[in-house]
Amino acid sequence: MQNVNQALRAWLEAGGREIGEIHIESADDGFTLRHCGDDSRADLKSFTGAEAARELAHYDDAGAFRPLKTAPDLRHGWRLTVADLADLRRALDYFYPAMTAVWLSHTRGDLRVVPLRETLDRQTGMYRVTQKITDDQAQRLVGDFCRSDGGCLKRILWPLAPGCPITTLPAEKFSSDGAFGILPLLCHEACNLLVAKAREVVKKAGLPS
Amino acid sequence: MIHKPTSALILVGHGSTVNADSSAPTFDHAAEIARRGVFGEVYGAFWKEEPSLRQVLHMVEADEIYVVPNFISEGYFTRTVIPRELELTGPVTQRDGRTIKYCEPVGSHARMTELLLHRAAEIAPGVPPEKTSVFIVGHGTDLNDNSAVAAKREVERIAARGIYGEVLNAYMEEEPLISKWDEYAAQPNVIVVPFFIADGLHSYEDIPVLLGIATESPGAASANAKAVFAGNPYHRRGRTLYYASAIGTEPLFADVILEQVAAFDAAQATAVVA
Repeated sequence: MQNVNQALRAWLEAGGREIGEIHIESADDGFTLRHCGDDSRADLKSFTGAEAARELAHYDDAGAFRPLKTAPDLRHGWRLTVADLADLRRALDYFYPAMTAVWLSHTRGDLRVVPLRETLDRQTGMYRVTQKITDDQAQRLVGDFCRSDGGCLKRILWPLAPGCPITTLPAEKFSSDGAFGILPLLCHEACNLLVAKAREVVKKAGLPS
Repeated sequence: MIHKPTSALILVGHGSTVNADSSAPTFDHAAEIARRGVFGEVYGAFWKEEPSLRQVLHMVEADEIYVVPNFISEGYFTRTVIPRELELTGPVTQRDGRTIKYCEPVGSHARMTELLLHRAAEIAPGVPPEKTSVFIVGHGTDLNDNSAVAAKREVERIAARGIYGEVLNAYMEEEPLISKWDEYAAQPNVIVVPFFIADGLHSYEDIPVLLGIATESPGAASANAKAVFAGNPYHRRGRTLYYASAIGTEPLFADVILEQVAAFDAAQATAVVA
C-alpha cells in the first residue's frame, strides 16, 4: 500500500490535480475532492471521510447505479474532504477502483496487457460464446461501448489480438500518457461489462453457440 | 484471533451491473476488517464490478495474500471463475515472489450456523423458540451452485441444537417452496432467514411476495425496499411471521471471514505435518 501511496504523493507534489472527472486539492486538513465540472459552484454538499466516496461513486446525477466507475457520468454537487494520503487513496479506490495501482504498475513496466481475444478465449459458462465474435463485430462494439464520450474514460492499452489494433476509436484513446497534472485511467484488459456486451452481440447475430 | 499486519486480504464478491446491493456486504465486511487492522491491506474485488479480479492484484503490495470468496457455498464461481481470473494453481499459488492463499467460501464455515441462530433470535426477541418454526431459504435453481445443499446442511445443524420447535429448508423455485410456508410450518411462530450473501430483489421482493407480506412492484425493487424488514411481525395465514434480511448482511460475517483465513492456515499446517 505504501508504494501506491508514495507514488500518489509524488504525483500530487509534482502538480497532480485530476483523475478522471475528479479534481483534487491539498488542504490544511488533508485533501478536498470534487467533480471537475463543479469548480464554479458554490452550493456543493459537503462529505467527510473516504467511506462517503463509495455512495458518491455508486450513483449518477439521476440516482441511477453506475456499474462502470470510469464511465463519464460521475455525480455532481458534492465536496469530499479526506484526512490524509491514506484516506485519499481509499476514496480514489471507491471512485476509480484500482486505477492508481494500475497506473503505478504501468509506470514500473509491470502491467501485462491482455489482448481482447485472449480475454474472450478464457471465458467459460454463459460467456464462452463470446469467442465467436467476429473481428468486425468486436471493432464496432469497442468503438461504441468504450468511447470516451458516453462510454468509458479509460485509455485502452490492449489490441484486439497481437498485431491487430482497435481501429474504431481516435488515436488518443490508446495513449497511456496523462496530460500535465492528470493521472490517466488505464485499461490493461477488457472488463466484464464489455465481455457481457460481446455476448449480446454474438447472441443477437444469431451465431450458433 | 489472527493478526497479519504484513499480509493482505482480498474479499471476493459477485457484484452486479444493476444495483449496489450485491456488492454492499462485501464492501462493508472489507471496511470492517480494515478498520480492525488485522491485515496490512484489505480489498474487495468483484466479478461484475470494480476492482475486478484482473485489477485487484495490482493494488496489493504484500507478498502474502489471502483470498476469501464472499459466497454462500462452493460452486461455479469459487471453483472456476475466481481461480481462472486470479490465475490460481491450487489452494496455494506461488507467483512473482508472492504467495496467494485461496480460502474456502465464507458460507462454508461451521460458524454460519451460529450466525443464522443469532439472526433468528435477533429478529424475534422474546418469542418462545420451542413454539417457532425456522425456515432457511435458498435460491434452489442455480445449476452449478451448491447453495441448496449448504442451506440444507445448516438446517440440519440448527435442528441438531434442539433450540427451535422445527427447522426447515425451503426454496424460491423448487420444492419445498417457501410460498407454501404455512403448510410446512407446524408452529404458531415462523422465522424466515434468506440464506443469501446480499440483499436484493430476492430478499426485498421475491421472497416477501411468496410469503404474502408484500405485493409485486412494477419494475425494479423500490428505494424503500428495506422497509419489508421493519414490518415484523407479520400476521399472516394464522401465524406470526418474522422475516430477516439476507444472512450475508450480518455484521458478524466479518468474524467468519477471518475465521475462514484461520481455518486455511490450520488446514495447511495439518497438510504439512501429514
